Amino acid sequence: MEKLETLRQEGIAKIEACTSTKELQDVRVLYLGKKGPIQEVMKMMKDLSPEEKPKFGQQVNEIKQLLASKIEEKKVVLEEKEVNEKLVKEKIDITLSGLKPNLGNLHPLIMVQQELEDLFIGLGYEIAEGPEVELDLYNFERANIPKGHPARDMQDTFYIDADRLLRTHTTAVQMRVLEEKAPSLPIKVVCPGKVYRRDDDDATHSHQFTQLEGLVVGENIRLSDLKGTLELVAKKMFGDDKKIRFRPSYFQFTEPSVEVDVSCHICGGKGCPTCKGTGWIEILGAGMVHPNVLTMAGYDPNVCSGFAFGIGMERVALLKYGIDDIRHLYTNDVRFLKTFTRFE
Amino acid sequence: MLISRKWLSQYMDISGYTIEQLADKITAAGLEVEGIEVLASGTNLVIGEVLTCKPHPDSDHLSITEVDVKDEVLQIVCGAPNVRAGLKVIVAKVGAKLPELEIKKGSIRGVESNGMLCSLLELGVDAKSLTDEQKAGIEELDADAIVGESDVLAYLGLDDEVLDIGLTPNRNDCLAAFAMAKETGAILDTPVMLPSYEGAANGGDASKLVVKSETEKCPLYSGKIINQLTIKESPKWMQELLHSSGIKSINNVVDISNLVMLETGQPLHFFDLSKLEKQEIVVKDGLHETYTALDGNTYQLEPEDIVITINDKPVAIGGVMGGDDSKIDDDTTAILIETASFNHVSIRNTARRLNLNTDASIRYQKGIEPLAPYKAMDRAVQLLMEYADATGIEETKYSADIAYEDTAFDVNLQAINALLGLEISEQKAIDVLTRLDFNPTKRKGNIHVVIPSYRTDIKIEADIAEELVRLIGFDDLPSTLPLMPETEGKLNKRQQLRRLLRNTLCAQGLQEVVTYTLVSDELNNDAIMPQASNVAVASPMSEDRKIIRGSILPSMLSCIAYNKARSVKHVAFFEISEVYSNEDSEERLALAIQGDLQQNRHLHYEIKPDFYTMKGLVEALLEKLGYNASRVMIKENDVDTTHFHPYQSAAVYIGRDLLGIIGVIHPNMAKAYGVDTTVMAELKLEVILKNKTSKVKFEAISKYPHVVRDLAFVVDVKTPAGEIIKAIKTTGKNVIQDIEVFDDYRGEHVEEGKKSLAISITYQAKDHTLTDEEITNLYNGAKDIVNKKFDADLRG
Repeated sequence: MEKLETLRQEGIAKIEACTSTKELQDVRVLYLGKKGPIQEVMKMMKDLSPEEKPKFGQQVNEIKQLLASKIEEKKVVLEEKEVNEKLVKEKIDITLSGLKPNLGNLHPLIMVQQELEDLFIGLGYEIAEGPEVELDLYNFERANIPKGHPARDMQDTFYIDADRLLRTHTTAVQMRVLEEKAPSLPIKVVCPGKVYRRDDDDATHSHQFTQLEGLVVGENIRLSDLKGTLELVAKKMFGDDKKIRFRPSYFQFTEPSVEVDVSCHICGGKGCPTCKGTGWIEILGAGMVHPNVLTMAGYDPNVCSGFAFGIGMERVALLKYGIDDIRHLYTNDVRFLKTFTRFE
Repeated sequence: MLISRKWLSQYMDISGYTIEQLADKITAAGLEVEGIEVLASGTNLVIGEVLTCKPHPDSDHLSITEVDVKDEVLQIVCGAPNVRAGLKVIVAKVGAKLPELEIKKGSIRGVESNGMLCSLLELGVDAKSLTDEQKAGIEELDADAIVGESDVLAYLGLDDEVLDIGLTPNRNDCLAAFAMAKETGAILDTPVMLPSYEGAANGGDASKLVVKSETEKCPLYSGKIINQLTIKESPKWMQELLHSSGIKSINNVVDISNLVMLETGQPLHFFDLSKLEKQEIVVKDGLHETYTALDGNTYQLEPEDIVITINDKPVAIGGVMGGDDSKIDDDTTAILIETASFNHVSIRNTARRLNLNTDASIRYQKGIEPLAPYKAMDRAVQLLMEYADATGIEETKYSADIAYEDTAFDVNLQAINALLGLEISEQKAIDVLTRLDFNPTKRKGNIHVVIPSYRTDIKIEADIAEELVRLIGFDDLPSTLPLMPETEGKLNKRQQLRRLLRNTLCAQGLQEVVTYTLVSDELNNDAIMPQASNVAVASPMSEDRKIIRGSILPSMLSCIAYNKARSVKHVAFFEISEVYSNEDSEERLALAIQGDLQQNRHLHYEIKPDFYTMKGLVEALLEKLGYNASRVMIKENDVDTTHFHPYQSAAVYIGRDLLGIIGVIHPNMAKAYGVDTTVMAELKLEVILKNKTSKVKFEAISKYPHVVRDLAFVVDVKTPAGEIIKAIKTTGKNVIQDIEVFDDYRGEHVEEGKKSLAISITYQAKDHTLTDEEITNLYNGAKDIVNKKFDADLRG
C-alpha cells in the first residue's frame, strides 16, 4: 500500500515537473502505457488474496485516473504556454511598409471634366463629341464668325488648309449637334474636348487646352435659366456656398453674351490676391444663342431660344487647386499628377 | 483703348467719380478696364530754381547746387549732366515719395544733400514719350515756371489718369474717343457735349484735285487740299491729350491728324502738297515694287496691297503708312488731307506681312464706322483752321458717292423680357435707349429704334436685349432652370468604354497623362501603327508643334524620359487620345511602364516591366470588356519591330482586326528617348467598339469535384506553349476546365535547344464525378497528343 502511495506521489511530481508537451507525452506513455510503474504494480496483484484484489485494483485505477486527469490539466497549461511562445517568436515589425499597391489616378483635367459631365448627366444632358480636326464651316462660319471677321482674331487658329483647322473651341461640336438635330427640340448637350489656339505656352497660356461647352435649345429658354444652371456648376466646382455674377461680354455666337464670375473660393469674397481684391474670379463665358446661329442650323429663332456656355478645364483646375503654371498640366511630372487622387 | 480722365472731362462732368469708380462702372457695362495708369506721380514736389552750381570736389560728374524753392534754399547734390545755374527744375524735397524711391536727407560723398532734382523718368513718365535729352538728364522747365509752385504734376500737365480699356471686337467703335465718351455718358447716365464740327469741311474753293479708286478694296477715298497753313508747336492741351494716349507730340499739323484719328477712330493721312508730282491720286492694287515709307524703312509691295499712287508711283501704303517723300516737315505750307475707307481684311494681310501695326492699320483692321471719313475730314479742317491758320481750303473730292442709310428697326419689349427672364418696364427701356442715342419711339406696341452710325454692332432685337441688360445690370436677374420636357442624361458606348478603361487602369496602378496633340516631325516618325499620311498645321509656331500626331506612345516616352531625368524611375502611364492621318482619325489607348508597376523591396515583391506584365494587363482589360481569351489572338509581332523588341512583343487581334501592339521597347528606341527598359502598348479603341462582346449570362457552376493532373516534358525551345495548350484542350473539350503552364525551364540538365515545360490540367465534368478510368484516359490522351504533335519527351 505504501508502494501505491509512492507511485501516486512520484507520478504527480513527474507531471508537475514537465516543461513541455513532449516531456508530458513521455510521462503519459510511462504511466499510462503498457510498460511502466503502474503496470509493474499491477503485476503484484496476483500475490494478493481474493478479498484484497478488488480493493487493490480499484486503488490502482484511481491512481491511473488521477494521473490521467493531471496529465490533461497539465497539457492544457503547457499547450497554451507553447502557443504563446510560438506567437512571441512570430512577432513582426509592424512599422515596416505594407505592400501598398500603387493606385493610379485620373489626370486632373479629365477628373474635372468627368465631374462636370456627371453634373450635367444628372440634369438630363447628353455628352456630345466631335472631331478635333474641324471644318472652318463648323468652327467659324456656323458660329456666326464669317471669314475676315475681326472676331477671328480673338482665336488665333492653327489652320491645316483653307477648309480644315484644329478647332479653337468646342462650339464646333455644338454647331454639329444643332445641324444634326434640327428642327427637333429640345437640345441639351455638353461638349467636352481638346481645343487649340496659336498661343505661346507660358504660365497662363497653352496652345492646347480643354473645354466643356453646354448648349440648351428649347421653347422659352431664358437668360435666367443660364444663370441657374451655371450656379450649379459653380457650386459643384468650388463649393456649395458659391455665388455667381454676370458681366456683359461679347461672343459672336451669343447675344446677349456674358462673362461669368464666381465668388472667390480663397477669400470667400472679401478680396485677396487670387481674385485681385475683387472677391470675384472670372470662370467662363456664356450667353443666349445668337439668332443667326439658330437660323443657319435650321431653327426658327422666333419659335425657340437657347443658351450656351463654355468652361475651360485648365482654368478650373488652376483655380481650384492653386496650380501656379498651366504647363504643369501637360508636363506630366508624376509627383505633380499623384497629388490629384480625388476630386473635392 | 486708352482714354484719360481729362479727355473725358472735356465732354462731361465726371468729377463725382474716382478713377476706380469710373473703371468699375465702365467694366460693369462690358468694356473691361484692364488697367489704370497715372501719367506721373510723386509727393512733396516743388518747382525750384538752381541758384548756384559747382562741381563736387570728390566726384567727376556730381554737382553741388543751391536751389531756391521759395520758402528756403536747399543744398542738393545732383548727378545730371544738364544741371546748371539759372535752370528751373523739379525738386523732390526730403520725404518725397516717387514711384521707385523715397527721398531722404543724406550726404553724397561727404556733402549734405537735401532732396533731388528730378527727371520725368523718375516721376514715372513712360520712357516712350520722352526725348533722349529728357531721358538723359533732369527736366528743364520753362523760364517762366513759378518757383515754389507745389502742384508740379498739374504744371507739367501730367496730373492725369488713364483708363486702359480692353475692347471686345463688337465695340471697336469705342476706339474713337467721341464714341467712348458717348458710351461713358450712357453708362453714367450723364449728358455728353461733344465738339460741334459737322459740316466744317463743307464747301471750299474749286479744286483741281482728282481722286480715283481702281480697287474695290478702297470703296471711298476723299481728298482735300489746304493751300496755306503754319507749322508750329501744338497747344498744350493737345500735347497733353496725345501724351495720355501714348502719342508723342510732333507739331500742330501732325498732332491734328493724330488727334482727329483718336477722336473719330478714322485714320487720316496728310501729304505735303508741294512734294506731290501731280494733283491726281489713284488708289490701286497689283503693284510689285519696293517702297520707302515715312519710318525710313524700305518695304516690298505685293499685288494684294492697297497703294496710293500718283503717276503710277506709290505715295503711301493705303491704311498702313505714308511715304517718306511726301511727309509733313517744318517747311510744309500746304497739304492734301486723305480720309478713306479700306477693306479691313486687305489691311490686315498687308500689315501682318510687313509687320507694320501702325495706329492707322490697327484701326482699319478692326473696322471703322461708315461715316468716319466724313467726320474726320470735318474735324480736321476745323482744327487746322483754328490751330494751324489754315486758309486756301479747297472743296473735298471723293472717289465715290456713297449713300448712308440709318439702321432702324422695331423691337418687342415682351420678347426681350422673355429672352432675358426679366421684367424691364417700357419707361426704363426707353430711358436706356435714349441714353444710347438710339432714338427710341413707341410704335404699335413695339419700340422703334434708329441706331447711330458708329454702332455697327446693333442689328437685331437680341442686340437691343443685350444693350438693355448691360446698362440696367444683372442684379435683378433671377436664377431659374429651363422649363422643358424631361430628357435622359447618359454616356454613349464610347464614353462608357473610356470610363471603364480609366477606372480599371487606375486601379491597376497606371497613372493617366495628357500630352500635346501637336508634335515634331521627329516624334511623329516614331508613330506606332502610323497611317498613310501625316496631318501638318499650315504654319506651325515651332518645329516641336508641327504635326498632328499619328500615335500616342512617342509623346508618352518623352514624358517617361522627363520623369527619369528627375529620378522618378517607376512610372506607369496611360493616355486615351485621338490620333490623326489625312484619311481619318481614330481613338487610341497607350500604355507604358518603366520600372516596376508594383513593388515592395523588403518583401521582395515586384511586378516588372516585362512582356508578361503588359500582356496580362491587356488580357485582363479585354476580359473585363467582354472579350475572353478565345476571341483575343496574341500573334508574333510582324507589324512593328523597329520600335518594339522583335522577340518580346506581339500583335494583338480581336477576331481579324489588329487591336494593337504590345511589348518591350526596342533598345535602340529606349536609347533614343533616354528611357530605361519600358514595356508599352498602343491599342485602337475603334476595334474594341466595333467587335461584338460576349454576353454577361449565368452559367451553372459544377457540383462535381475537379481533378488536377500534371504533365512535364521536354520540347523544342521554339514550340510555343500556347500551341501545346491549344492541342491539349482538344483532348477534353467539355471536361478540361483549365490548363496552366507552371514551369518553363531551360538550361542545366536540359538539352541545348530544348525547354522543359510543366503543365497542370484541371478536369471537371458538369454532370457527374469523373471516374479514375475516365481521368486516366483523358490524361493519356493529353500525353499522346503532346508526344506526337510536338515530339515531346515526357517525364514522369
